[in-house]
Amino acid sequence: MIGSPLRVDDAGRARLSHTHPGPLIAALLLAIFGLLTIHSASAELASSLLPRQATFLALGLICLGVVFLIDYHRLIDLAPFLYAGALVLLVLTLFIGHEVKGARSWLLIGPMRLQPAEFTKLATALLLARVLARGDQPYLDLRRLLQAGAIVAVPALLIAAQNDLGSTAMFAAMAATMVLVAGVRPRLLAALVLLGAIGAGLFWQFGMQPYQRSRIVSFLNAEQDPLGAGYQVRQSKIAVGSGMFWGRGYLQGTQSQLRFLPERSSDFIMAVLAEEWGFAGVAVVLGLYGLYIGSGVRIALRSRDRLGMLLVAGLLALFSFHVLYNTAMVVGLLPITGIPLPFLSHGGSFMMMNFLAVALILGIDHRRYVNR
Amino acid sequence: MIEGQLRRQLARRIAWLGRAAQILILIVLIAGYWRVQVMDGAGYREQAENNRLRKLTIRSPRGLIFDRDGRLLAENVPRYNLRFDRQAARGDARARSVAYAAGVLGAPVEEIKAAVDGHRGVRPLALAEDLSLPQVAQLSVRHLEHPAFEIETEHRRLYRYAHQTAHLLGYLGEIGARELAASDGAYRAGDVIGKKGIERLFDAQLRGATGEQVVVVDSRGRRLENFRRDDPEPGRSLRLTLDLALQQAAVEALGDRAGAVVAMRPDGALLALVSQPAFNPNLFAHGISAADWQALLDHPRDPLQNRTIQNAYPPGSIFKIIMAMAGLDHLGVDPEERVFCRGYSVIYNHRYRCWKAAGHGSVNLREAMKGSCNVYFQQLGQRLGIDAIADYARRFGLGVHTGIALANERPGLVPDDRWSREKRGTRWFPGETISVAIGQGPILVTPIQMATLMAAIAVDGRRPTPRLVAAVGAPGSDPTVPPAGGDGISGDPIHTTPPLPIAPRDFARVRDALWAVVNEDGGTARKAQVEGLDVAGKTGTAQVVRQITWTKNEDLAPEVRDHAWFAAFAPVDDPQLVVVVFVENGGGGSTSAAPVAGTVYRAAAALGLIRPTRVPHGAPTERTAR
Repeated sequence: MIGSPLRVDDAGRARLSHTHPGPLIAALLLAIFGLLTIHSASAELASSLLPRQATFLALGLICLGVVFLIDYHRLIDLAPFLYAGALVLLVLTLFIGHEVKGARSWLLIGPMRLQPAEFTKLATALLLARVLARGDQPYLDLRRLLQAGAIVAVPALLIAAQNDLGSTAMFAAMAATMVLVAGVRPRLLAALVLLGAIGAGLFWQFGMQPYQRSRIVSFLNAEQDPLGAGYQVRQSKIAVGSGMFWGRGYLQGTQSQLRFLPERSSDFIMAVLAEEWGFAGVAVVLGLYGLYIGSGVRIALRSRDRLGMLLVAGLLALFSFHVLYNTAMVVGLLPITGIPLPFLSHGGSFMMMNFLAVALILGIDHRRYVNR
Repeated sequence: MIEGQLRRQLARRIAWLGRAAQILILIVLIAGYWRVQVMDGAGYREQAENNRLRKLTIRSPRGLIFDRDGRLLAENVPRYNLRFDRQAARGDARARSVAYAAGVLGAPVEEIKAAVDGHRGVRPLALAEDLSLPQVAQLSVRHLEHPAFEIETEHRRLYRYAHQTAHLLGYLGEIGARELAASDGAYRAGDVIGKKGIERLFDAQLRGATGEQVVVVDSRGRRLENFRRDDPEPGRSLRLTLDLALQQAAVEALGDRAGAVVAMRPDGALLALVSQPAFNPNLFAHGISAADWQALLDHPRDPLQNRTIQNAYPPGSIFKIIMAMAGLDHLGVDPEERVFCRGYSVIYNHRYRCWKAAGHGSVNLREAMKGSCNVYFQQLGQRLGIDAIADYARRFGLGVHTGIALANERPGLVPDDRWSREKRGTRWFPGETISVAIGQGPILVTPIQMATLMAAIAVDGRRPTPRLVAAVGAPGSDPTVPPAGGDGISGDPIHTTPPLPIAPRDFARVRDALWAVVNEDGGTARKAQVEGLDVAGKTGTAQVVRQITWTKNEDLAPEVRDHAWFAAFAPVDDPQLVVVVFVENGGGGSTSAAPVAGTVYRAAAALGLIRPTRVPHGAPTERTAR
């Protein structure tokens, strides 16, 4: 399989039917499942969140269509400008941003609430791919490594300044994966890991808000404080567990419908799903995520150039970290942080970012035979 | 390096990382979701149910208590409270209901609105307690317009004849921590339970079973809907053996004196059980005030004591009945054997006085009983010895509980040599036997024991277990209808001991002597005589302090005066009613206790509780026939 990407199609042209449908199918099924679950999670509210989320889905599909038509090499060329634009938005957010639950992450544009951090993720992935794909050595040299570090550090710090710890971590994870894929000398890698550990310690001490520290502490001993910071984990686990194998039935989850579960339509959407659809539903959803990653990897491996490979790898890393962290946190395996679940959680910017990522991945696959 | 090699390197890493991500997802699925949902799922399901369901107790009305004729003794008086269910009315409807409630209650609208809006409990808000009947009517007739109103009925126990039945029925109170722990889950905190008397002993039947309304609540504890309801099982009513009219007559006869009256059928059915002074049990219905409680504790005569079962006193001369039985049965004493009473006798070099300083002269058993001659029984006591006396006392039920279904009964005391060595650390002195022979000294009995003794004498040695409850309502029966029966099946069982192995002739002799006590000249209980009724009985005087010189009781301070006893049954040849009267510091039995018994017998006859006797006792044919 690995050797096949250079095979050229008879006509020498790209065909839509040659594009791998996996990511799109998984994304659409997950998004539909998400719409149903969001409706259930907001059923007892004055107005269901379903129409809003459906609008986001439609917007996401439009974005997908538009970006799919653009050659990713054009986007890579534009990457510095996109990146710069994203940084400007981030800085603007810091000053005139809208604050929700302690995080100043939103820009209000008319009726829309935009979360620049989501788009910054894509711009950063594009710029990183451009920088990392350049060399012709098996391992990255220090200069390029520092370059990559700087590219990711600036937006990561700006987002950390917004108090959005989850997104910051996702940035770091994506960048680390892309660097790892591009190749790092083992000794350097060891040094970086050490440096990272020291950095994490310093961050714990000086960079974190008390509530963030308490979340982690409460995660480590959740039983000590059932009504305080441990409340969310507890209610989430009760919701997930009470679904048992087949679930309590759609719109029948007591934890969700009676509002015991916090953040039902956003970060804890998985708990609602798990309660109402049971382990069976969870297995299907996680299977779709696995399908998305699997088909994504396949596209990466057969993409036309290293640029495409790196870009797909970065986008998949971003996606995987979101999925893994969110699903593990909902079931109590990781401390709670504001990290949404791709295609399921309620939120416009995040939905659009994910469909843009699908568009990029499909675009790369679509153009795997085309000469530039 | 060639492009192809670089690509292969990248591809290898991407493939590896992709596989890693998929494996991690699988790990989360198994270690997270499989564990929580499938392995521990049932436990979390239960927690989710606990999260959303709240149990509200529905208390059932307590069973009623009737006397033997179905007269109501203890009932439940409703008290109406207004609850406001905010879930039942929203927006304008709620505002209208609030305004209407404010009008009915005469409270400012803003105050009611604030209370309703601020309420967060699971139960609807208790807006007003103890509504007047016009208020209840105003709220009820408009119920369709104001579904938020819930008229809650609460029951308060009312004892109609408060003091007159206080000790017998007992009272209610909130369950204490120790009772709760001992109840093994049968009770819940906050339960009101029987604390004394029948209310306590028959609490399980009277209270019925508490019901439960399970409601669904949201995360803020607001009630959303009803889920499941277990209806309460109403309490079962009791019909007592007690006759209210006789009880009242006994209370009246005793007057304001401290003491006790027991009126009992020979089979153990109690028709009256009076202890004075009494207290008002209604004070306990919703928590007694500190001042009222202190007043009860400070009362010099201790109104909380049930003197019929809780206080033990020396029996005085009533004990001579047991002495006579022991003499006839154990020693085979010839009832015609005569003893000369000079007003005293000298035994063990000690002078023992008879109460009659002039002496009774020559007396046989019957005359000694009639005149309550101490000398005769002191000499009989010397011949019997303490162990035989104690043996017969026990056979007639002294020194042990009678088994009446009331708590805190005292067993009294029958002294003998063993008791003396164990409790006093000294041997029994023969001189003490002489005191016990006339019912003084360390021997102690309760009025209820005296009643069972008299019943045993009346019916040839079958001693009954006193009982109070004739019938208990069947589960689910209408509590307002007095339960039928009284055959001892649903109430206290009818139980008597097997007849004592003593010749019926001996019982008849003693009965005849007791008849003479009341009905013949020279008898000590002439004041218990009732026209047309052959009462047989024995007076008793229990010394409070040992007297060196004979001082008239009337000249003594009230608290050291003798206790007066009178124990009787009637009619002597067809025994139907045992009456025991005890007057604390009342002086002599003949003067203060016997007349009370006479009054009780007259009342019983008037109430039709005693069938008239066809042949009067002592009629020549009757006596020669014996």
